[in-house]
Amino acid sequence: MVPERVAKAEKKDWAFINAWSLSLFGAIAALFTLCTLWPEPYLDVLSFLPDGLFVTFEVTVLSISCAVPLGLLTGLGRISKNRAINLLASTYVEIIRGIPLLVQIFYIYYALAKFLQVSGLTSAVIAISFCYGAYMGEVFRAGIMAISKGQSEAARSLGFNRFQTMFYVILPQAWRTILPPVGNECIAMLKDTSLVSVMAMPDLMQRGRSFAAKTYLYFETYTIIALIYLIITLLLSKGVSFMETRLNYYDKRK
Amino acid sequence: MTSESNITPVIKIDHVWKYFDELPALQDVSLNVYPGQRVVIIGPSGSGKSTLLRSINRLEEIDQGIIEVEGVDVHSREHDINRIRQNLGMVFQQFNLFPHKTVLQNLTMAPIKLRNTPRMEAEERALTLLKKVGISDKANVYPAMLSGGQQQRVAIARALAMKPDIMLFDEPTSALDPEMVGEVLDVMVNLAEEGMTMICVTHEMGFARTVADRVIFMDKGQIVEAGSPDDIFNNPHHPRLKQFLNQIL
Ligand SMILES: Nc1ncnc2c1ncn2[C@@H]1O[C@H](COP(=O)(O)OP(=O)(O)O)[C@@H](O)[C@H]1O
Ligand SMILES: [Mg+2]
Repeated sequence: MVPERVAKAEKKDWAFINAWSLSLFGAIAALFTLCTLWPEPYLDVLSFLPDGLFVTFEVTVLSISCAVPLGLLTGLGRISKNRAINLLASTYVEIIRGIPLLVQIFYIYYALAKFLQVSGLTSAVIAISFCYGAYMGEVFRAGIMAISKGQSEAARSLGFNRFQTMFYVILPQAWRTILPPVGNECIAMLKDTSLVSVMAMPDLMQRGRSFAAKTYLYFETYTIIALIYLIITLLLSKGVSFMETRLNYYDKRK
Repeated sequence: MTSESNITPVIKIDHVWKYFDELPALQDVSLNVYPGQRVVIIGPSGSGKSTLLRSINRLEEIDQGIIEVEGVDVHSREHDINRIRQNLGMVFQQFNLFPHKTVLQNLTMAPIKLRNTPRMEAEERALTLLKKVGISDKANVYPAMLSGGQQQRVAIARALAMKPDIMLFDEPTSALDPEMVGEVLDVMVNLAEEGMTMICVTHEMGFARTVADRVIFMDKGQIVEAGSPDDIFNNPHHPRLKQFLNQIL
């Protein structure tokens, strides 16, 4: 009895050491150390980046707010009994999954530019949303399909129509399975916004590239950039797993 | 209602056929259910009992024949099936409570969203119903915290919250531990005594004997024999019914 308890206590004491905390605190410590010991290049790099960070967040947030509804529509389309809608959604997913995001970004940027004048921001958001909308569509589809058929039958038997059933009964439950992977897709999205730097979008990556090109401090610049992406990503992934636990509110418990 | 209402069937099932792929699940089934009648459907597994019940509220589509509920053709595209279903309460073997809603919300959701019942009124009625099924103390918990018997009683109350004229039960006690069967049957007996029109698919022969006005025996998608509980249980004719009764009794 007693040894077991000791073992448990010990386990708890060491619980804060895991891959996540090592990476996060390692990254923060590294950033801090570099900037205090060698402010000459590193602090200069860091102070050059906030504008870029803002653009990165801007692209990410805008893309998320387009990609999530698009993903929901795609997911609903993929499970639709309407053959035309189903085919449309499936084809979209098929095509997008077969083209690298970088190619899509180039393609949409130049294809759009051919017909109408759109800003780099707009085409970046369109490209990323289109790509991630397809991936999220699969997440939505799987989440919806995981809810037992009995749930929709119960709702339908009460007199809810198909849309009411989806929005009052199925989605609120599917949300639990959907949110964590959607959260992870959003994090992946934030990382992938670095690709838009190829279209001269002044995001974090692009700011870094132009700083490095000016000063030839390639190693120092990309070290800082990598650390910043890492810290943001780790914080967000903690947010996702926190959300995951909060979503279990209606499970059996005392 | 006209004076004929006591002889006009509330449910009229007329030469209904239903296929799953090539296999007939219902073969030329006809059945009338009259107001206040308690019909119990028995039969071996796979004989089409659920399919018949589910085609009454169009959870299953039929291939041939007509099903009318209160004079309305349920399978006609001209009628709003969602409206019709509000009058047909259904209770499932697996309860199918909404796990993300509290017990009270399970009961108030449909009246509030579908009938625009004011929340206060819906909750009041829900609490009355919960008292009736004997679980008013659990109004604010989530279904996962209830036993199977309690969940099924909530499911019955949820169906009643829409004030249906007819209740359909598909093996409501088959998923329950034996010690919980009684509490659910009690609720159903009370409902029958209040005069609710009920169609119950069940293997509870005691319930069939005491509550049913009419017992239907189905086999291989057909109604093989129908009659009073006395006819069916004490004086069965068809060999398949005799065999079935021998197996379960
Ligand atoms: N969704 C379905 N798809 C294919 N076959 C089905 C489906 N539902 C029921 N069946 C078949 O129809 C027949 C009748 O089933 P069911 O009505 O569930 O019988 P019971 O409720 O009497 O056990 C069975 O042979 C069953 O396998
Ligand atoms: Mg069945």
